[in-house]
Amino acid sequence: MSTTAGNGQVILKLDGVHTFYGTIEALKGITLEVHEGEVVTLIGANGAGKSTTLRSINGLNTPREGSIVFQGKNITRRPPHEIVQMGISQSPEGRRLFPHMTVLENLEMGAFQRKDRSGIREDLDRVYGLFPRLAERKGQRGGTLSGGEQQMCAIGRALMARPKLLMLDEPSMGLAPIFVEKIFEIIGEINSQGTTILLVEQNALMALDAAQRGYVLETGKVALTDDAKRLRENEQVRKTYLGEE
Amino acid sequence: MALIGLTTGAVYALVALGYTLVYGILQLINFAHGDVFALSGLFATTMIGGAVFGLTDTSTTLGVVGGLTATFVIAAVFGAAVNSSIEFVAYRRLRSAPRLAVLITAVGMSFIVQNISLAIYDVNARSIPPLISGHTVFNISGVVYTWDAFFVVLVTAPVLVLLTWLVKSTRQGKAMRATSQDPEAAAIMGINVNRTISFTFALAGALAGIGATLYLVEFNIRYDTGFTLGLIAFTAAVLGGIGNLTGAVLGAILIGMIQAFNEGLSWNAPGTAWTKSIVFGILIAILVFRPEGLLGERTPEGA
Repeated sequence: MSTTAGNGQVILKLDGVHTFYGTIEALKGITLEVHEGEVVTLIGANGAGKSTTLRSINGLNTPREGSIVFQGKNITRRPPHEIVQMGISQSPEGRRLFPHMTVLENLEMGAFQRKDRSGIREDLDRVYGLFPRLAERKGQRGGTLSGGEQQMCAIGRALMARPKLLMLDEPSMGLAPIFVEKIFEIIGEINSQGTTILLVEQNALMALDAAQRGYVLETGKVALTDDAKRLRENEQVRKTYLGEE
Repeated sequence: MALIGLTTGAVYALVALGYTLVYGILQLINFAHGDVFALSGLFATTMIGGAVFGLTDTSTTLGVVGGLTATFVIAAVFGAAVNSSIEFVAYRRLRSAPRLAVLITAVGMSFIVQNISLAIYDVNARSIPPLISGHTVFNISGVVYTWDAFFVVLVTAPVLVLLTWLVKSTRQGKAMRATSQDPEAAAIMGINVNRTISFTFALAGALAGIGATLYLVEFNIRYDTGFTLGLIAFTAAVLGGIGNLTGAVLGAILIGMIQAFNEGLSWNAPGTAWTKSIVFGILIAILVFRPEGLLGERTPEGA
């Protein structure tokens, strides 16, 4: 279980994180790290704790034990809005667009904490460059977009925060295969433009293709971690998550 | 008659907006809202009366304008402070509790605020001197529209314009809209959700404070005035579609008109004694036949 670290420094580190929903222990001591410039993926079955890990990082579910350190600062018990300010943004599971706001308003909400108008303008152009479809639909309400368009809008909205770490929760869920390819292509592009990405996916094959490193979660614990390439060749992973015999 | 309805409706609108703003953001009927209205109104009588500004009907125009303006501002600040304190003390810690628990707490807060009013201002109704002239603006075939009634509309209109601007165009308004549509998504956009909720309660309380001061121009207030008035305003909010700002104003004006026509003299209406029955009959009818109200959208919950 050796991991080759990325070139960059550790940007995010989780150490023994336990998170509960009421009395249910969803995370039972998650330890992982993300290096600057990497794409790291969390894969695993439904209920393994992938989304909960992201919710622990972004402050929506405060861990009961363990620590989360981002760029050397302990963010374990910080509220979500402070965590956004520090440079972590997210496209959440189920996309969660503001249904009564237009595409443009949704994207602007992503930049809520920013005051640099020209920078926001630049990032808006950048998002429209990545997703030309959003530019065509900018006046349309979030709730009326197709699933693929909503996903683009959710990723675009997260980018509008100009994050240091972008967290994507199930970006391929419910999308037609052609959209899935497109989304992953763009994830690669965003990463090559310098944004570190933590990617949660059920589509393990696509995720391991896009990522440099991966963590396999099982019932709230890290079962396995390795280079993405090596995980793809790991027999257990192939059987369980890639559907190969 | 329609104009008199507009006057009553204007006060209802300010209170109904408070219900609808808070409902929009927390899906909570803040039962204490009517009592915040009454307490703010009683507080305003202290301001206007002898103790602070000492306004009487013989005060100079300048004194009346200055004193009233200051009272509006102070009553608004007072209402805002009381309402956001209620949220902070009672509702905030129930953020993840079942809705019923919050609802019961709201009923409890209503009694608490009402009894605070009772303790400070006793059971007697308070009023202010007739500062705005009761002279006729116009008189159409026996229907008289007076300046004091017109004054209410005159104050309400810009407040509504200001509120619309605030919700539509300001950063704080955007935070409110985002939080009401999806609080978790709002949080991960970097919005301070708790602060946004506090702000919403403050805004609702400020509207109640302004509404109460306007109410005093024509009527008396005592510790339990907020109960009935709150229920009527709540009906207005539901009629328009709870959570919908335009709806609250529309519903309030409709209720105001229904009341005016019912209590008017010109034809065989049931009369004043029946006003509440009619208003609450409407409430029941809406809840049964069109729970989303006139302008509300149907939600999966159907509420």
